[in-house]
Amino acid sequence: MNESAATARTLGLIACHDCRLLIEAIQVREHPHCPRCGAHLHPRKPNSLTRTWALVWAAIIFIIPANVLPMTITSTLGAKQADTIISGVIYFMQTGSWEIASVIFIASVFVPFCKLVILIFLLLSVQFRSRWRPKDRTTLYRLTELVGRWSMVDIYVVTILVALVKLGAIVSIEAGPAAVYFAAVVVTTMFAAESFDPRLIWDVIEEDV
Amino acid sequence: MNDSSPIKQQAATAKIQTKRPFSIVWIVPLVALVIGGWLAYKAISEKGPVITITFSTADGLEAGKTKIKYREVDIGQVETIALNNDVSKVVVTAKMIKGSERYLTDQTKFWVVRPRVSGSSVSGLSTMLSGAYIGIDGSDKGAPTLAFTGLEVPPVVTVGQPGRHFILKADMLGSLDVGAPLYYRQIQVGQVVSYNFDDSGKAVDIKIFIEAPHHAKVTETTRFWNASGVDVTLNAQGLKVDTQSMVSIVSGGIAFDNVPKDAPPGDEAKENETFLLYAGEDAIHEKKYSVRNYWILLFNESVRGLSVGAPVELYGIKIGEVVDLNLEFDLEKKKFQVPVIIAIEPERISSAKKEEALEAAKKDPRALIQELVEKQGLRAQLQSGNLLTGQLMINMTFVPDAPKTTLSSYAGYRVVPTVPGSFEKLQESLSKIITNLEKVQFDQIGTELHQVLKETKTTVAGIGDFTKQMNNETSPQLQSTLIELQKTLVEVQKGMGANSPLNYHTTKSLEELSMTLRSLRELTDTLNKQPQAILFGKEKKADE
Repeated sequence: MNESAATARTLGLIACHDCRLLIEAIQVREHPHCPRCGAHLHPRKPNSLTRTWALVWAAIIFIIPANVLPMTITSTLGAKQADTIISGVIYFMQTGSWEIASVIFIASVFVPFCKLVILIFLLLSVQFRSRWRPKDRTTLYRLTELVGRWSMVDIYVVTILVALVKLGAIVSIEAGPAAVYFAAVVVTTMFAAESFDPRLIWDVIEEDV
Repeated sequence: MNDSSPIKQQAATAKIQTKRPFSIVWIVPLVALVIGGWLAYKAISEKGPVITITFSTADGLEAGKTKIKYREVDIGQVETIALNNDVSKVVVTAKMIKGSERYLTDQTKFWVVRPRVSGSSVSGLSTMLSGAYIGIDGSDKGAPTLAFTGLEVPPVVTVGQPGRHFILKADMLGSLDVGAPLYYRQIQVGQVVSYNFDDSGKAVDIKIFIEAPHHAKVTETTRFWNASGVDVTLNAQGLKVDTQSMVSIVSGGIAFDNVPKDAPPGDEAKENETFLLYAGEDAIHEKKYSVRNYWILLFNESVRGLSVGAPVELYGIKIGEVVDLNLEFDLEKKKFQVPVIIAIEPERISSAKKEEALEAAKKDPRALIQELVEKQGLRAQLQSGNLLTGQLMINMTFVPDAPKTTLSSYAGYRVVPTVPGSFEKLQESLSKIITNLEKVQFDQIGTELHQVLKETKTTVAGIGDFTKQMNNETSPQLQSTLIELQKTLVEVQKGMGANSPLNYHTTKSLEELSMTLRSLRELTDTLNKQPQAILFGKEKKADE
C-alpha cells in the first residue's frame, strides 16, 4: 500500500459521491451541493457508523422472526404444514436433495448471518480505530455488498412457488409471515452495507502517517 | 503536511455535524424493535400449555403435523412422538393453544380420530385424505393435569352433553358394546358408554347415558332389559321373535320402560343410580307376581317334553309354571312316579272381588283348591304345547265326571289330582292300533306272497319263450304271405280297374243282358195281350 499517496481528504478536497468531481473542502460549509451534478457533498458518508449501526440492529431484530416463523405453508389434501427456513432445509436434506438444501441454506441462512457478522465486525473495528489488515477488511466489505442482493433468492423462490402451486384443494402453497421479515432483513442489511463508508477503515491509517 | 491543520479543523466541524442529538435512521431499528417486540409478546401471550398423551400406538400420527381438534377446531399440534421408557407405549407431546388449560383436567379424554366403521356408525371418513388427528373431549371438572392417557376408541358421549348416567348390573354383557343404543318405546334415547366388571368380578357393570330430556323418564319404577339382536323364544307357547331395530340386531341394545306401564312413575332417578339389567322384557313381567302357591302333581306317565318353566294353564291362560320335576321310586308300591312341583301365581287371575280373592288365596289357598277339586273336579293333565317340538305343559281342567277324590299331601306339598293327558290318550289308542297290527302274521303273508311271485315269474318266462318263437318262426311266413296278398290285391285292382278288359266285358255282357231282358219283356207283353200269338205268330197290325 502506498501510504504516502495523496487522498482527497489530505488535499482538502471532497469527491462528489455521484460524479466524482473534486471540490475544495472549504466550500462544503456554504455550498453542500456539487456544483456539477447537484448531489450532496460530504467528505465521508454522513453519520455512516450511526446509520449502519441502526440498520444492523434492525436486521438483527428482523432475523429472529424470519427464522422462527414459517416461511411457507403447504396444504396438501387439507393437511396444512408450516415450514420455517431451517425445517425446509432439513426436509430437503432428509429427502436426499443435498443440492437444493445447500442452496437454500447458503442463500437464506449462511449469507444473511455472515453479512450481519461482517458488518458488525467492520463497525466495531472502525469504532475502536483498529489498524488490523485494512485491505482484508475492505475485501470483506466488498464481499458483503456483492453478495447482499442474492439473499433475495429465497423470497423469489417463495413467490414463484406461491404463484405456481395453486391446485385448489389438492395442493397449494402460501407465503408465511417469515417471508416479510426475511425480506426486511435482506433490505436492511443491503442499506446497512450501502451506508457504511469503507474509507473509514483507511482514515485511521491515514492519520497515523 | 502543512495542510493538515486546516483540514483537521474542517474535520472537526464535520464532527459537529455528526453530533446531532438523534439520527432519523434510528427509527428503522426502532420500528424493527417494535415489530419484533410485538411478535415476541404475541408468541409468549399465545403460548399454551404443553401436554403429553400416552397412546398404545402412534398409527397415523406425525410429529409437527398432527392436529388436536375439538369440534373440528384446531386447538393444538403434536410436537414430538416418542416411546416411553419401557417401550410399551407411545408418548405424544403436543402444544396446545392458550386458554386450553381450563379444559385440561383428569376428566379430559384424548383419542385418535381415524376412519372407523362399526355396526351402527361410520365416522372419521374425512381423515382418510387429511390424515388422522387427535380428538379431545375437554372437561373443566376435575384436577388440572398435563399428562393424559389416550383412549383407544372414541368416547360415545361428550362431556357436558346434557343427560344422565346410570349403571346397569347384569350377569353377562351379551352382545352389548360401547355405543350400543338405548331405546325407550323403540326410540333411541341413549347409548352404552362403557362396561366393566363390578367390584366382586361376578357381574358386569354397564354404564349408560341417557340424553336430556329423556333422562327424566328413568324413575324408580323403571326397568331395563336387554333388547339385543333378535330374541327368538321357542317354548310351549310357540315361536316368538322380538326385536327393537335393525341396529340393535347388529350391535345389541337396551330398552327400558316403566313397569307396570300404567303405574304412576316414581321419583326421577339420580345420576349414576344402579339398576338391574333384565335378560328380556318377559323377565320383568315374570317378577311382578309376589304371591306364589306351590302344588305338587304326581304323574304316572312320561313327562318327556316337560321342563322347568313350562307354563301351567287354565282355560288356555297361563296361571303359573313348573318349578321342579324329578323321577321317584316308591319302594313299597314298587312304582315309579314323577312328582311335578308347580307354582301358581294367583295374581294372574283377576276376580270381581280381586282384593278379597287375593287375600283368600294368600291366606288359605288350600280350602279354595279343595273345593274346586272336590266339587268341580279340578284336575291337572299333561298337554302337548307344541306338536312340532314336543314341548309339554300342564293344563288345569275341570272333569266333572272324574272319580271323586280329595286333596292329599306329598312331601310337604298339597297334591292336585291328575288325569291322563290328551296326549297320553292319543298315545294309548295309537299303541292299541300297534298291538292289533302286531297280531297280523306278516311272516306267513310274506312267504305266500313270495311263492305267488315265484310262480308268476315262471309263467312270465313261458310267455316270453312263446313270444320268442312267434318272432322267430311265424313272423317271416306271415310277412311273405302278406306281401303276396298285397301283390294279388294289386293285380285284382288292375284287373278290375275302369279300363280293364274284365270291366269292359262285364259292361258289355250287362248291356246285352239288358237288351235280352227287354226283348223278353216285349215277348211277355205280347203274350199277355195275344196269348195266341205263341201259336199263330204275331198279329200284324192294319197299318203294317
